[in-house]
Amino acid sequence: MLEYLDFIENKLAGLFGNIKLVEKGLLGLEGSYVELLTVLALGLLAVMPVLVPEKKRQSWRHLNQLFGIVIFIFVVFTCLGVFGMVRNFYRGLNEIGRENIIALYYCSVPATVLVTSMLFGPAFCGWICPTGALQEFMAMSTRRWTNAWRKAGHPFSWWMSLGMLAVALVFLVWMWRLSVTRMFFIEDASIYWSEVLIMLLFVLTFRMKDWDARLRRLRVLSFIIIVIGAVLSIRITSPVHFGFSKVYDPASFLSTVMVALGALLIPNVWCRYLCPWRCAISWAAKNSVRSIESERSKCTHCGRCAEVCNVAAVEDGTINRDECHFCMKCVDSCPSKVFTIKDDWGRKCKKED
Amino acid sequence: MKNKVMSGEGNIFSFPLRRYSSQVGFLAFLAMTIFCGLCSFADEAPWAGVRCGADGRASLSWNGASEINEWHYVYRSGRRYKSGLAVWTSPALAVVEGRPMAFIGGYDQTMHAMDLLDKKILWRKLTNAEIQSSAAVAKVGGLDTVFWGSCDRSVYAVLAYSGRQLWTRELVPPSNSLGDVNVSSPFVHGDRLYISCFAYDRSLTRNQQKGMLFCLALESGEILWKHEVTNGALSSPLVFTLDKAYLAVAAKRGLLSCFDISGAKPVLAWTFQMPHEVLGSPVFADLDAKGILYLGSKYGNLIAIDAKSGKEVWQRMAGNWIDNSVCVGQLDCRKVVFAGSHDYCVYAFDATSGEQLWKRPLGGEVFSAPAFFEMDGHPYLAAAALDNHLYILDAQDGAIVSSYFTGNPIWDKLAKGETLWGSPSLLSAGRESCVVYGSFNDVVYTLPLKKDCSLTAMARSPSALWWSLGIVFFVFGGIILPLTILLPLKQSHKDIA
Repeated sequence: MLEYLDFIENKLAGLFGNIKLVEKGLLGLEGSYVELLTVLALGLLAVMPVLVPEKKRQSWRHLNQLFGIVIFIFVVFTCLGVFGMVRNFYRGLNEIGRENIIALYYCSVPATVLVTSMLFGPAFCGWICPTGALQEFMAMSTRRWTNAWRKAGHPFSWWMSLGMLAVALVFLVWMWRLSVTRMFFIEDASIYWSEVLIMLLFVLTFRMKDWDARLRRLRVLSFIIIVIGAVLSIRITSPVHFGFSKVYDPASFLSTVMVALGALLIPNVWCRYLCPWRCAISWAAKNSVRSIESERSKCTHCGRCAEVCNVAAVEDGTINRDECHFCMKCVDSCPSKVFTIKDDWGRKCKKED
Repeated sequence: MKNKVMSGEGNIFSFPLRRYSSQVGFLAFLAMTIFCGLCSFADEAPWAGVRCGADGRASLSWNGASEINEWHYVYRSGRRYKSGLAVWTSPALAVVEGRPMAFIGGYDQTMHAMDLLDKKILWRKLTNAEIQSSAAVAKVGGLDTVFWGSCDRSVYAVLAYSGRQLWTRELVPPSNSLGDVNVSSPFVHGDRLYISCFAYDRSLTRNQQKGMLFCLALESGEILWKHEVTNGALSSPLVFTLDKAYLAVAAKRGLLSCFDISGAKPVLAWTFQMPHEVLGSPVFADLDAKGILYLGSKYGNLIAIDAKSGKEVWQRMAGNWIDNSVCVGQLDCRKVVFAGSHDYCVYAFDATSGEQLWKRPLGGEVFSAPAFFEMDGHPYLAAAALDNHLYILDAQDGAIVSSYFTGNPIWDKLAKGETLWGSPSLLSAGRESCVVYGSFNDVVYTLPLKKDCSLTAMARSPSALWWSLGIVFFVFGGIILPLTILLPLKQSHKDIA
């Protein structure tokens, strides 16, 4: 009996063996070679700002941010934080022409983020980014005090100094604890970003009003260092990296805590001064199809837009597109309706006409 | 007088040699044969199984004075790998023709014979599927021979120095519906080779999974017996001798089985059900009164089992996940069990009482089996962790002696617990001691332990860490920050400022 069944099986195997071009359907997707699910999920999250109703848009945004955190933890494979995204993009670009599927695997997340930024503006920062979301949620608890400090023109204040000292103390005690319990290596360099963050907090406590815009240029330096690290194959971990990877990473965890604590004092402090990926996104979104337009003639200088903006990208009806996270808080809160969202899909056609 | 001496009369040479020359020759030959036999028996299997011997210490002593240098061996770099696969298995070491050699296979389907002295590959043997388990080295007819199993369902026996194939043996017959076949590391005991394999036939008509145990003749590869242990995957077998020869093998689902293999067929002696799944292989320690088997389980239970009766002797928790085998070493006249765990710690327990002697946290999950070795009379331990570093620890107290960065995984996402990546093996040779380790970054490293090494981790001590933080403080505060503040702003920034 078995012999007959074997015979039939073999005949069937021979008959249907070579009909398809590939051995298995979705062969390239096996083992997550291509992050199709990631691309779909991030693409959907990036489209959400277009789809959600204007009413209660900020609630939808926070929901989107929560989904972003979940997606990055449970779905995305190749992100590993902002540093990892830069590194993987470089790695993926290197693979083009050699292992195209692997190239697609590594480029899928950064390419999706850049393409969606070109289309929908820098909405990744304001609507999806888990690091940004973490900072924003943290900053909510101290908004009353940070806003008062901003309105007063960022003068020296004792509570800011005490807060900064507390953050520095947490860093030093934690570093001491880690230094006696584990070995630190070059790829744990995110602790140096934490150190720089604390130094920045110290500087900003005294001179935020004068030096805020100048210090934001540190993002470019951060980006250059990460790119050089990627070229030299140095795997520097970034804040929240530990959340996306199964690998335990105390340096990354410590950096995440520092970023979260820093955001209590200065909202989105990481995004403002140190996030290297922000450089790429602002470049991609510079001429995005979707943008926020302002009509300054309508502005009554009530200061509401500056009050709600977490990254101080707007002032008296003027938006700095290099800094804007496209959270649309200013659009939703402006009583004079100075800001409007413009979908300029026909711009190119008009130019050609 | 002269003639007297020449004829041999009256002294020790008086024995009539010429007359009994044939008998003397035969006796000399017999004596030589017995001597050679004894010698070959003494070091019959320099690397008997997956982690060298029954105690799993994975180290080999060598008295050679030649220099062993650092070597990063890469072969067919840039291949596509599935995540979670054993890129390299644990290397088997042996001194062949007076030269220390390492034998290592992996996902490239090839067994590599590495000459550690000249840093060259003596031979490569391509099989028809990936090699997921370590090799064993034993003498066959006085010649060092390497044995290994490949996922092509076969066992290979190849001369260690020349690469000449002695025999191959197919364990499972081919079938067009047969899935992956996992063949374990072989264990050589006497003139027999023991190996297990797991075959999964997906055919509708004969859908079956079998975990089989095989006994092969060492010289010919003939299958002497085979025995179905369970319907799941099996660990590598371990052979130990008490009053008789026994074989222990653990099913992945947690059933540890012990067989009496002194007869023509294996006879089940006892079974022991572990509390959870088992990902490593058992190891054996011959304590004063009795033999004990040690096996770690998923979720961290390290259990000592009486090798004779199969009863639990002691049980301790070693973190939350033991991914691999443990090893047994000797510290100050007492035997100690070392285990790596996913709680980032290496544990040391007294082998007799189970008392925890020390535990040492490393930078990541300790996925490898620890290797125990002695260097200049002092005991050390080597273990690899998921922070991509290989650590050398002082076995007395667990202090970290040195660490080496052994590269990022070829895939960023690590599939913990889904595979056993390679573990380090040690060549203990005084100043020339070195560790051989096939890392999951596609490179096989030979790293000298007592000389400069390029992979030595850059921040090795708390003081170096604080120094580096100080340097960053001064560079950022003294150069970058002033420059950032002093350089003029672009117009777009001025708008917001």
